[in-house]
Amino acid sequence: MMNVLISKDFLAGIVCVLLGGLVLVVASDYSFGTPRRMGPGFFPITLATLLLLLGVGIMLSSLRTRERLAALNLRPWLVIPAAIVAFALLLPRFGFAPAGLAVVLLAGLADRKANKLALTLLASVLVPAVWGLFALVLGVPIPFVTWS
Amino acid sequence: MDLLESLQLGLATALTMENLLYCLLGVSVGMIVGVLPGIGHLAAVSLLMPLTFHVPATAALVMLAGIYYGAQYGGSIASILLNLPGTASSAVICLDGYPMAQNGRAGAALLITTIASFIGSCFAIIVLILMAPPLAQLALSFHSADYFSMMVLGLVAAGSISQGRPLIGLASVVLGLLIGLVGIDVNSGAMRMTFGIPELFDGISIIVIAMALFGVSEVISSIGKAADGASSTRVTFRSLLPTRKEWRESGWPILRGSGVGTAVGILPGTGGGSMASFMAYAVEKRISSKPDTFGKGAVPGIAAPEGANNAAAQSSFIPTLTLGIPGDAIMALMLGALMIHGIAPGPRVVTENPDLFWGLIVSFLIGNLMLLVLNIPLIKVWVKILQIPYRLLFPIIILLICAGVYSLDRSVIDVLLVAGFAGVGYLLIKLGFEAAPLLLGFILGPMLEENLRRSMLLSRGDFMVFLERPVSAGFLLLAVLLLLWVVWGSLKPPKPSA
Repeated sequence: MMNVLISKDFLAGIVCVLLGGLVLVVASDYSFGTPRRMGPGFFPITLATLLLLLGVGIMLSSLRTRERLAALNLRPWLVIPAAIVAFALLLPRFGFAPAGLAVVLLAGLADRKANKLALTLLASVLVPAVWGLFALVLGVPIPFVTWS
Repeated sequence: MDLLESLQLGLATALTMENLLYCLLGVSVGMIVGVLPGIGHLAAVSLLMPLTFHVPATAALVMLAGIYYGAQYGGSIASILLNLPGTASSAVICLDGYPMAQNGRAGAALLITTIASFIGSCFAIIVLILMAPPLAQLALSFHSADYFSMMVLGLVAAGSISQGRPLIGLASVVLGLLIGLVGIDVNSGAMRMTFGIPELFDGISIIVIAMALFGVSEVISSIGKAADGASSTRVTFRSLLPTRKEWRESGWPILRGSGVGTAVGILPGTGGGSMASFMAYAVEKRISSKPDTFGKGAVPGIAAPEGANNAAAQSSFIPTLTLGIPGDAIMALMLGALMIHGIAPGPRVVTENPDLFWGLIVSFLIGNLMLLVLNIPLIKVWVKILQIPYRLLFPIIILLICAGVYSLDRSVIDVLLVAGFAGVGYLLIKLGFEAAPLLLGFILGPMLEENLRRSMLLSRGDFMVFLERPVSAGFLLLAVLLLLWVVWGSLKPPKPSA
């Protein structure tokens, strides 16, 4: 029985059921309308129901497959989104240079064999170049360095 | 407007300095990402989509399309030299391309694949030129119910064909449709699934979704796994020339491959040329008088699939441009780029934006010529590029993604959404969900709802309208047959290996 619970398809089915259920709860506030005059809820509720049913189907079919979930690439999975979040938080307060430096260095650490010196060198060339592309060539007003 | 006039208009549009430049930029970027294993054309197109905000619609599409078919050329290089497919669609090329390289025929293999790519593309472009206008004309008579059913067929195909788990594929489509609903409902003005965040009122940008799923998630799963390539194969210019026997062996396979690829590329849900190249390989192997040479460096084994994946790359534009129905994720991105520029995809594009339509098609021809000329002389450069280690490459990708997403609206929320969708997306992909059908659902969702609503309004709430109109009924019948076929296939007892 344990095997079924950690099988890839079973988990995928659960995800579908949960997401479908979540949308149903959220969309229950929207008016459903009639087929002739559909309300904003008609389409989401129909789709969520479909997702729920598909989820049940996937769970049932997982009883036959029992393929185990492959190991996650855990370190990059945690580090890369964190690096992007750091960029998003730093940029408005300190400008592109610190944010860019942070994202290159942090993201680089996602690889176990990261070479910090190489990453710093890379960032020092890359960050001004990318800023130049967006701010100077494309004219997007992003400050290079700022303090606010 | 007759065909000659149209082509003249296309030529005039495609030959402007600006469009030529973007075409060159597109095919060059395409070739580079095609060569590099670990970055696909989907990631590259997503990465460059923010740039298209700043250029006219035609130039934007010319560039994005260039990346796509340019990558098809580049993809075979890594397959032949390193036995690593640069793009999914050139995975088949490894089977016979790498053995050829080991036999000292790498140069000849590269030249044959380049020529096969060119012929395959041209073949499909001619079919595109001939088929697109009448198809668009026909589609103009479609009713909203017909559109709804056509989209249903496209989505069912996208969800169920591409992989062995049709239910999860379909769930991916539905998930995409739901994400596409986020924002203000245009008909009622109601906020849907915005959770009170003002940045979500206008919906989630396709660029955010594409970058998260094809850029960041891809990076997360490639780190520590993408092999850093250093090729020991030396390619001299003299070894480029195929022998007379090799020429003879590549002629018909290229043409057959082009035919197979063109046909497969038009079908919905056939995903980026890989199905086309696998099918072309299978056809060659079956009709070959020496099937045992396949896998050991058979020339038809590289010529046919290479012709096929390039043909499919071009012919997949047929349904996208004439019907507004994208067959795969990359075409969904093309539609997204059109919509960003305020052009509603569909059969009207041909008549209302003839310069864009014909300019784009002629740019395909020009781009393929550029690729034919550039690919071979630059082989030494490609071999150098293959040596860039992935651990230096991916921080560049992440920085470009961050800067690109922020440049759209200067919105921090968009950047945070990319991080969130990437994290969740990686998990979903691990569970077997698929990014490509999800994106297709996302882009078609609003159109699907709109057409459903319109048909129901016109039919006074009678669902029979979808069965009473022959076109619509035909599409739905195909969708049902497809579903039955896929479900039947998946119900067969699983292989005993489990």
